[in-house]
Amino acid sequence: MATPIIMPKFGQMTEESAIVEWLKQEGDPVAKGDILFTVETDKSVMEVESFAEGTLLKILVPPGLSVPVQSTVGFLGQRGEPIPVQPAPTQAPRVPEAPPLDTRPSTLAPRPSPLAPPGPPAAPARFRISPRARKLAADCVIDPSGIQGSGPMGRVVEKDVRAYMEARGYGQIRISPAARQLAARERLDLLSLAGTGDSGRIGVADVQRALAERPRAMSRMRQIIAQRLTQSVLTAPHFFVTVEVDMTALLCLRARLKEQGAPYTVTDFISEAVVLTLKEFPDVNSSTDGKTIRWHSHVHLGLAVSLEQGLVVPVIRNAEELTLAELNARSRELADKARKGKLTPDEMAGGTFTISNMGMLDVENFTAIINPGEAAILAVASTLSKPVALEGKTVVRSIMKMTLSADHRLIDGAMAARFLNAIKQKLQDPELWNLPAEQPQRGCVTTPGVGAQRLP
Amino acid sequence: MTKSPVYLSDSRPKFTPYEIDCGRIPAYRYQGSLQSELQAGTMTPGEAVALLEDMLVIREVEEMIVKLRSGAYEPIGQFNYRGPTHVSVGQEGTAAGACSGLQLADNITSTHRGHGESLAKGTCALRQMTDDQLRRRVPNCKAARREDLLEAALEEHLYRTICELFGKDDGYCRGRGGSMHIADFTVGHLGANAIVGGGVPIATGAALANRCLERGNVVCCFAGDGAYANGVVLESLNFAAQAQFTNHLADGRKRGLPIVFLVCNNHYGMTGRCDDEVMGVERIARRAAGFADNNMHAEVVNGMNVLAVRDAVRRAAALCRQGQGPLLLDVDCYRYWGHSLSDPRNEYRTREEEAAWRAVDPIESYKKALLAAKVLDAQGISGLERSVAQRNARAATRAAAAADPAPEDVLTFMYTDTKCETVPKDFAGATLAGPLPEIKRVNGELTYKDALKEALVQEMVRDRRVIFYGEDVADYGGAFKVTKGLLEAFGRERVFNAPISEACICGTACGAAMNGLRPVVELMYFDFALMSSDQISNQAAKWHYMSGAQTEVPLVIRASAGAGKGYGGQHSQTLESVFCHIPGLYVVYPATPYDAKGLLKAAIRDNNPVLFVESQALYGMKGPVPEEDYLVPLGLAEVKRPGTDLTLVAWGPVVHDCLKAADALKAQRGVAAEVIDLRSLVPLDLETVLRSVQKTGRCVVASQAVQIGSYTAEIASTIQDLAFDYLDAPVKRVGAKNGIAPQSHILEAAFLPNADDILAAANAIL
Repeated sequence: MATPIIMPKFGQMTEESAIVEWLKQEGDPVAKGDILFTVETDKSVMEVESFAEGTLLKILVPPGLSVPVQSTVGFLGQRGEPIPVQPAPTQAPRVPEAPPLDTRPSTLAPRPSPLAPPGPPAAPARFRISPRARKLAADCVIDPSGIQGSGPMGRVVEKDVRAYMEARGYGQIRISPAARQLAARERLDLLSLAGTGDSGRIGVADVQRALAERPRAMSRMRQIIAQRLTQSVLTAPHFFVTVEVDMTALLCLRARLKEQGAPYTVTDFISEAVVLTLKEFPDVNSSTDGKTIRWHSHVHLGLAVSLEQGLVVPVIRNAEELTLAELNARSRELADKARKGKLTPDEMAGGTFTISNMGMLDVENFTAIINPGEAAILAVASTLSKPVALEGKTVVRSIMKMTLSADHRLIDGAMAARFLNAIKQKLQDPELWNLPAEQPQRGCVTTPGVGAQRLP
Repeated sequence: MTKSPVYLSDSRPKFTPYEIDCGRIPAYRYQGSLQSELQAGTMTPGEAVALLEDMLVIREVEEMIVKLRSGAYEPIGQFNYRGPTHVSVGQEGTAAGACSGLQLADNITSTHRGHGESLAKGTCALRQMTDDQLRRRVPNCKAARREDLLEAALEEHLYRTICELFGKDDGYCRGRGGSMHIADFTVGHLGANAIVGGGVPIATGAALANRCLERGNVVCCFAGDGAYANGVVLESLNFAAQAQFTNHLADGRKRGLPIVFLVCNNHYGMTGRCDDEVMGVERIARRAAGFADNNMHAEVVNGMNVLAVRDAVRRAAALCRQGQGPLLLDVDCYRYWGHSLSDPRNEYRTREEEAAWRAVDPIESYKKALLAAKVLDAQGISGLERSVAQRNARAATRAAAAADPAPEDVLTFMYTDTKCETVPKDFAGATLAGPLPEIKRVNGELTYKDALKEALVQEMVRDRRVIFYGEDVADYGGAFKVTKGLLEAFGRERVFNAPISEACICGTACGAAMNGLRPVVELMYFDFALMSSDQISNQAAKWHYMSGAQTEVPLVIRASAGAGKGYGGQHSQTLESVFCHIPGLYVVYPATPYDAKGLLKAAIRDNNPVLFVESQALYGMKGPVPEEDYLVPLGLAEVKRPGTDLTLVAWGPVVHDCLKAADALKAQRGVAAEVIDLRSLVPLDLETVLRSVQKTGRCVVASQAVQIGSYTAEIASTIQDLAFDYLDAPVKRVGAKNGIAPQSHILEAAFLPNADDILAAANAIL
């Protein structure tokens, strides 16, 4: 009996996923633990391993097609084994489209009345174009999608394409054969190309420029980022509070610990300080739907990680229960998984507060956008050597700016200021870290590099 | 020119009491023996031995089939035989006895249980061939002695037979026919037939051809007892026994059809018992009394006695040659195995019955006769048995190893591309019985029906093999007077009324076409084609292919389509789509007088079977028709009106509706519609249609047939498949409603498509 291969449900909230790539082809032998295919979830690409041994008999779901989780995507079994009949895979339902209106009489049995009343469909009709018109447009290398159709049901027919081309001056286009060929292959619209040759003649360079400028499809990840952050900006009224933190002592401590074999990052200290402070300010570890406020007893701390493809925020669960060492270990593990694209959806969901650290990117200061479902986000800028007045003298210290973005629905300015300063105090108080009491010594060599502390 | 063949009945009522004497039908009258045959000189010792050998040949082949099913035939134990196992073991006396009573050029038709007849017709024919004829069959055989030559030819016959059973390219039918359709036209075997009774009208038609062409050949039509309950078989008995072949209507050529209806009465129609279950007569021979006052010379013959069968068939064939046909022989025999090897037999008959018949086994009985007559001794018999078995083993071994037909040739032999371009001089030019009918031409114009008549007249004058028959077509000139005057011109030999037996009309025409004639037959209404659909679809359409192109079927079936006359559901159908679905047929439908003449002449000259559809609505339509000889090639559409904006494809009367719609489109919208008359549906001129659609981008396909399953759908789907990129709109179809033609003229007008429907379809896509 062939075994169905099931699309895993990677996260509690995942409804559908798309296969990025099948790493095995039909007929390939499969060993237990072999990677069968990769799956794009909302924010990462997951590998799916085989639980069984055998031959990949059938691939039902091709790459790129989003299907509901738990659906069968293929079959594993013994070579030559029959596979059960399956309906063709269908795209998971999205916004339902109005079915095309069909007023033809049935060919099978008479019906008392037509299937639907005559007249144009109520829902916006999909773009209709006859094969002939489509071919003409393709032959002329133009994009017909903007043409108004005059045929039945608004279908674009040949004469519409011809009229459109005439109206848009298609006949005046001068283009080199090579440029035309390239444009046709790349499905560019000749009408959209500007020529830079003699009397506006379009050359290959013009086509290549247009190709470079052509809008590309947004990745699913970027679309998710765009959707979530837009939602946040539109629903949560942001305000921003910035403080400067003198990191000289903490960096000194960190350097010493590192020498002793304990490589903490600045982020670890900031995280710990934030977790401690959140216990003091429950309102900041809350969320709102605009009508109710919900306090979270645990701190699930999000740490923004920048990747080439975009931004991910792995979440350290129950961060308040972790020691500094555990925090360090957990954040390293998550950052590593994030960079390899192996975060599970559950590892990226459910945060209550987020830290975005751009310290390594040489920035003076920045503001961040609150993750939906959270009350605030802390934007940590680079630690820079700056002259400051200390005990009446101008000295050079390692100064780091932090900006809290707060949701004004939950947090007022004063609370934000107190919260931020409470973090600052912890970071400036080495004794707090329960390490050998030692006053930060004047002249302690922090020796920051030129401008910034580059900390991993 | 002698007296007019037209005949007016002139009877008087006569009700004097009397008794119909049905006469007596003899049973088992053969009292002879091998000694008596030898003494009388009706048989030589060599012929006596050959008779045993022929029976042994049959039994060896059929026992091989039985053994192959279980891998027990030693010479080719591994061979996987796929195919029917309708063996006739036990009936060898019937097949061998009958064929030994026939001459080389005589014909047979046979059945799904026809290995015996096929083998025996071959062996008997070979024994009658000259050395030269034998050499042509085995050109590679260098033997000088006749017996060696004959042996080589016999083995080749076995080889080609077994090849056909095995579906090999060297089979008689090139692996296209197989066990149930085996045929060897070179020895007059017109084919076994897998439709029970299906071969009987073909045999009757073949006899009609022999009669018309004055060949002196007899047809022996083998069919089982079960077939004698089948309509077309009874139609054929009546057709064969028609009075007009032998009475005053036949004038100087009073000859009955030279056919022997030989009933292989093994008592079971598959498993149905013809003796006392599914029929009401004890002996099928009694049926003969229902068809001819002479009881068709019927006899009951002991089929377990090969000499009795031989004697009966020899006498029957002789009577046929004297013009005394048709005859019916009810040959009593027995099938030892079941219907096929999957039939265990014990559900419907006893082992005791089987044992009793085996006790009178035709081969064992005949061996005793040979010993008693001292023609062979025991050693001689076993030597013969051994040589038959060895020959079979050699042939089977070669056949098993022979080449299969190439898969890419699966459609080879579907149609023939030959035509009758020149008439052989034996058949050229007709002897007229009277003046040719006068066909009134006004300003160079004829009506559609006169155009058809002119075509028939010209072709019948040109070629004596063209004969014409159908219901009421002779004296009366046809229900629509299309053929009025043909009887007067060509006589009843070539133009005659057929009984109201549509299946038999088409079936006999098929058989006549397979045996040398070029018949044209008329179906008064197209609706009646459904009564003949087995003969049109399973026989006429298939024999060129199933025989591996051994035969051609140059046959024209004129079918007159009603519609629009208030004749209701059974006289108004447009059914060409049904027959376009049957590969092997050509289907044409002219829309104008010009095409009616040119297409009919082309159809008559074509060597494929052509279903020629005519429209009663168009019979009176006038149009220019040149008097001279011209052909409209089959498979060529015509652009009736050129246009650039829309293509209207149609055939038959709807072409004229399309022209009207095109006028309206021009007047109302300035749209130039191109109108194409397909004229031929099979073969279809796709090129003309596609060229037009590529130009216009829009197409409506219209016919008078009901929409569901209409050939319009085939054309529309082909257009979208092959010209998709040229379409500016979906291809529309117009036809009659998916209903039954009503009588009420109000309803019928609503039912049939018209120019407005075509206009509406065009407007929907413009």
